[in-house]
Amino acid sequence: MSAPVRILTAVPICDGHDSAINTINLEFIRHGIEVVYLGFHRYAGDIVRAAIQEDVGAIGISSYNGGHVEFFAEVVRQLKKYNAADIKVFGGGGGTITHDDQRIMQRNGVDKIFFAGTSLGDMTQWVRQRYGTARKRSLGKSPDMKLARKLTEIEDSYAQRKRPRKKSAAKRHSLGKTRVLGFTGPGGAGKTTLIDEIVLRLLQREPKASVAILSHDPSVVGAGALLGDRATMINSQDDRVFMRSMATRGQAGGLSPATEDCLALLAQSDFDYVIIETVGTGQEAMPFQSKLIDQTVLVMNPDYGARLQLQKIVMLDLADIVVVNKSDLDRAKTAANEIERRLEGSKREQRLISTVAKRHRDRGVDKLCDLLMEKK
Amino acid sequence: MSKLGHVVEAVENYNRFVEDEVKRARSDKKFGRQMLERWDEIKRNIKIGTAPTGLKLPRLALPEIDEAGDITRYLLGEGLPGEFPYLSGAYREMYLEPWQEPKIELGSFEKNGRKKNGQNKNGHAENGASGLTKPKQAEEPTRLFSGLMLAEDTNKRFHFLSAHQRSKRLSTAFDGVTLYGIDSDADGVLGKIGEGGVAVDTVEDMMRLYDGFELGSPNFSASMTISGPAPIIMAMYIAAAKRRFGPEVVPNLRGTIQADIFKEVQAQNETIFPTEASLRFLGDMMEWTTRHMPRWYPVSISGYHIGEAGSTPVQQAAYTLSNGFAYAEMMAKRGLSADEFGPRLSFFLDCGLDVEYIALTRVSRRIWAIGMRDVFGAGPKAQLFKVHTQTSGRSLIAAEFRNNLTRTAAELMLAYMNGTNSSHSNSADEPFTTPSEEWIRLSAHSQAILLEESGIFKHVMNMLSGSPGMKAVERAVEAAILEEFRQIESLGGVMGAVENRYQRSQIQNAAHRYEEQIYNGTRPMIALNKYRNEHEEMPEFELARTPRAKQQLQVHRLQQFKKKNAKKAEQALEKLIGVVETDENCFPALMEAAEVCSLGQIVTRLQEVVGRFRPMV
Repeated sequence: MSAPVRILTAVPICDGHDSAINTINLEFIRHGIEVVYLGFHRYAGDIVRAAIQEDVGAIGISSYNGGHVEFFAEVVRQLKKYNAADIKVFGGGGGTITHDDQRIMQRNGVDKIFFAGTSLGDMTQWVRQRYGTARKRSLGKSPDMKLARKLTEIEDSYAQRKRPRKKSAAKRHSLGKTRVLGFTGPGGAGKTTLIDEIVLRLLQREPKASVAILSHDPSVVGAGALLGDRATMINSQDDRVFMRSMATRGQAGGLSPATEDCLALLAQSDFDYVIIETVGTGQEAMPFQSKLIDQTVLVMNPDYGARLQLQKIVMLDLADIVVVNKSDLDRAKTAANEIERRLEGSKREQRLISTVAKRHRDRGVDKLCDLLMEKK
Repeated sequence: MSKLGHVVEAVENYNRFVEDEVKRARSDKKFGRQMLERWDEIKRNIKIGTAPTGLKLPRLALPEIDEAGDITRYLLGEGLPGEFPYLSGAYREMYLEPWQEPKIELGSFEKNGRKKNGQNKNGHAENGASGLTKPKQAEEPTRLFSGLMLAEDTNKRFHFLSAHQRSKRLSTAFDGVTLYGIDSDADGVLGKIGEGGVAVDTVEDMMRLYDGFELGSPNFSASMTISGPAPIIMAMYIAAAKRRFGPEVVPNLRGTIQADIFKEVQAQNETIFPTEASLRFLGDMMEWTTRHMPRWYPVSISGYHIGEAGSTPVQQAAYTLSNGFAYAEMMAKRGLSADEFGPRLSFFLDCGLDVEYIALTRVSRRIWAIGMRDVFGAGPKAQLFKVHTQTSGRSLIAAEFRNNLTRTAAELMLAYMNGTNSSHSNSADEPFTTPSEEWIRLSAHSQAILLEESGIFKHVMNMLSGSPGMKAVERAVEAAILEEFRQIESLGGVMGAVENRYQRSQIQNAAHRYEEQIYNGTRPMIALNKYRNEHEEMPEFELARTPRAKQQLQVHRLQQFKKKNAKKAEQALEKLIGVVETDENCFPALMEAAEVCSLGQIVTRLQEVVGRFRPMV
C-alpha cells in the first residue's frame, strides 16, 4: 500500500473567495488525497512555511481577486529560497487568469494552471498522477524541512506497513526542557481555538520559546482527509511554531498509527513545548497512553447532555486538567459544577478551568496557560 | 427567544389574522359590505392608460374576484401595491410611465421623466406625489460602479461615467488590500494594490477619490462596497468631506456603505475583527450616522454574497432577513426607535435563474414589513423593504460567454417581476474580467429595453403578480424561509447560529450540491454541460491591471502620510483605544483618528485590543 498524496491548498492574501476551493478540496479528499487546507486570505510566507512543515507534494492556490502573477511567483520564489522547489505549485482562478498570465506564470515556475470549465474529475486525476509518485526530495537546509521530511518517512513507513507497531524508544527523562502537552475532547469543544490561544500566550510570554504542534484530523473512510486546523489557528502560523497535521488513516481513538513515533521525534527536537491534539473523541477514548506526555488536558463543551453522561467519560479520570470551554453559554455554570463533583470522585489532583477561547485575552485561557507553563 | 422567534410568530399570527378576517367578511354582513364597498372604490379610481398601439389598459390590474372573503384575503394578505404587507409592491406605481393628464400635449413628454415616479434608486420617496401630476425629473436609477487602480484613476472614471448624468450616483469598489484593512505598504500585498477596486489607505486618498464632486449636494450620493473595515472607511469619508466642505457638510452627506458584517462571516469572508467586536464597531457607526446623517444608509443588508457563495434562494432570503432583524434588534437595544433606524436599513439581493426567484423579493418584503411592524413597532416608512437587486454573477459562465446576455436578461426580468427598487445587470464578460465598456453598455441597455422599450412593466401594475404559479411559489418560499428562521432561532438566534457556523455550512452544502448538479448534468448549463461546442476557443480580453509604478506610488504616498502624521497618529490611536476599552460609542474617536491615521494603523491597533478574526472553515 502506498502513502496517500498530501497537498496543501489555500487562497491568497486579500482574497476571500473560498467557494471553489472548498468544492475542490472535497473532491480531492474523496479520491484519497490528504488536503492540508490553510484557508483564505493567506500570505505567501504562511503558505510556504506550512507547505514545508507539512511536507506536501504540491501547493494548490485558488485566486480570484487579481494579483495572481505576482502572488504565485512569490510562492515559487520563497520555495526556492528554502531549497524546497521540489514542492510544486499549481492553481486556478476561473476566468480571472488569462492564457497570457498562465504563460508568464509557468515561466515563473508554476507547474499548472487550470482554467474555467476543467472538470473536477480531470483536475483530481491530474493532481493524483502528477504528485502521487514519489518525488525527488532535496534534503533541505532548514531544520523545519529536515524535521518535516523525517516525519513523512515515519508516516509513509506506517502507510506501507514496513514498520512494526512498537513503543517508542524515547524516554521521558531524555527530553530535557521540552514539555509535552496533550489536548483531547469531543468534537466542537473548541480544542483547536484553545490551543491557538495557548500558543499565542506562549510566544508572547517566552520571546525565545519554540512550539511544535501535532494536530490530528480524521481520515474519511476509504479516502483522504481534510486537515483544516491550520485555517483556524491564526496565531500558530509563526516562524517559532512547527505544525504538522496528521490524518488518522483508519485508526480509531483519536490518533494515527504513526503518532507515537512522530511525537517522539518532535519531543527530541529541542522545542520548548510540544502540543498534541487528538481528533474529536468519544466517551470511551483514552488517547494518551504515551509516557512522553507531561500533562493532559480534556476540553469539554458545556452541552454534554445529562449529568449521567459524565460518569462514562474515561478521560475525566485520566486528564490532569479539565477545561470547560464556551463558558459564556447558559449551561456552563451547571456544567462546571457537575464536572467538579465528578472530579472529586476520582481522588486525583485534577484542575478544573472555565474558558471562553474565542474571546480575546480571556482570563480563563490565561490561567490555563499559567498551569501549563508551571515547571513540575 | 430572540426577536427572530417573535418574527416567526408575528408572520404566523398575521396569516391567521388574515384568514380570520376572511371568515368575518363572510359571516359579518356589515364588515363584508364594507370590504365590497372598498373594493368598488379601488376599482373606480383606477386610471385607464393608453399603450403606444392605442390599446386602452387599466394602470392597476386586480384579481377578478367579487366575493367579500376573497377580497379581504387579497387586500390584507397581499395588499395593493404600496400598501401593507407590500407583497405586490413597495410603491403604488413603481415602473409605470408617469400619468399624463389626457389634455397635456404629447410633445411635452420628458424623455427622462418616466422613471418610477418620485423614488430614487434606494426607493425612498422624495416626491410624495403618486403619478397624478407630471413629476419633477427623477434621478436616474443608475449607480455607476467603479473602482480601479489608485484614487485619481477611479476619480477620472467617475467623472467620465457621470458626465451626462444630472445626478451623480457613484458606487465604489475597493481593492482587496483595503477590504482586509491592510495598508498598501504591508509586506506581500504590492501585487494586489489597485486590483479589483481602488486602493484607499488614508483620508487623502478619500479626498482624491471624490475630487470634483459636491459631496453635500442633494444630487450626489456615494456608495461604498466594503464591510470588514466599514466603520473606519466611513470615518475617513466623513473626514475627507469635512476637509473639503467644512463640518457643516456632515448632515447633508448622502449614500450607502455596505458594512454588513454578518454576511461576511457567513459567506464572503472579508472580516478583520472577531464577530462581536465587528458588530460593536458597526453598531457605534450606525447609531452615530442615524443620529447625525439622516440621509445616509449605514448598512446594506446583503444577500448577494450569500447567494454568490452558493446558497439556495431560500437560504439567501432567510439569512438576509434574519441578519436584518438582528441589526434591528441591535439598534433597538441602543435605544433607537424603529421609526428612526428602520428607514436607514436597505437590502441588496442576488437574482439567479432558479424558480424561487419569481417571488423571493416579494415574500421578503412581506416578512420584513410584518416583522418590523408587529415586532419592532415600526410605522409605514420603517416597514419598507428597500432593495437593490443584482443579477447573478455565479450563473454566468465562460463557455460561449455571449449566452450570459440571455441569462442576465431573464434574471433582470425576474427582478422586475418582484418590483425591485433598483437593479444592476451583470456584464456578459464577467467570468473573465472587470467588465469592459462594450459589455457594460449592453448590460445597462438590457435594463432600459425591459423597462422602457418593452411594454411588460410600464403600463400595468400587477402585470405578473397574483398568477396561480406566482402564488404557489410565494407560499412555498414563505414557508421555507420561516422554517430556516426556526432553525436559526433554535441555535440561539443569528449570533448563536453564526457561532455554530450554521449558515456557513448550509451555504457550503448548497454550493457543493450545485457544483455536483452541474458536473452530473442534472442542472443544465447551456454550452457547458449541454449543447457544448467542443471547438470553442477561449476569448482573450484586455484586462485592466494596475501598473507596478502606480502601486509603488501608492506605497510612497502612504509612507509620506505616516511620516507627516506620526506624532498625531499615536495620540489619536491612544485616545481611540481608550474609548474602545469602555462601553462608549467609539465612532467619534474613530473619526478623529481617521484624520491622521492610515487604515492599517487603525486596524492593527484595534486588533491588539479586540483580537483578530478567526476564520471558520
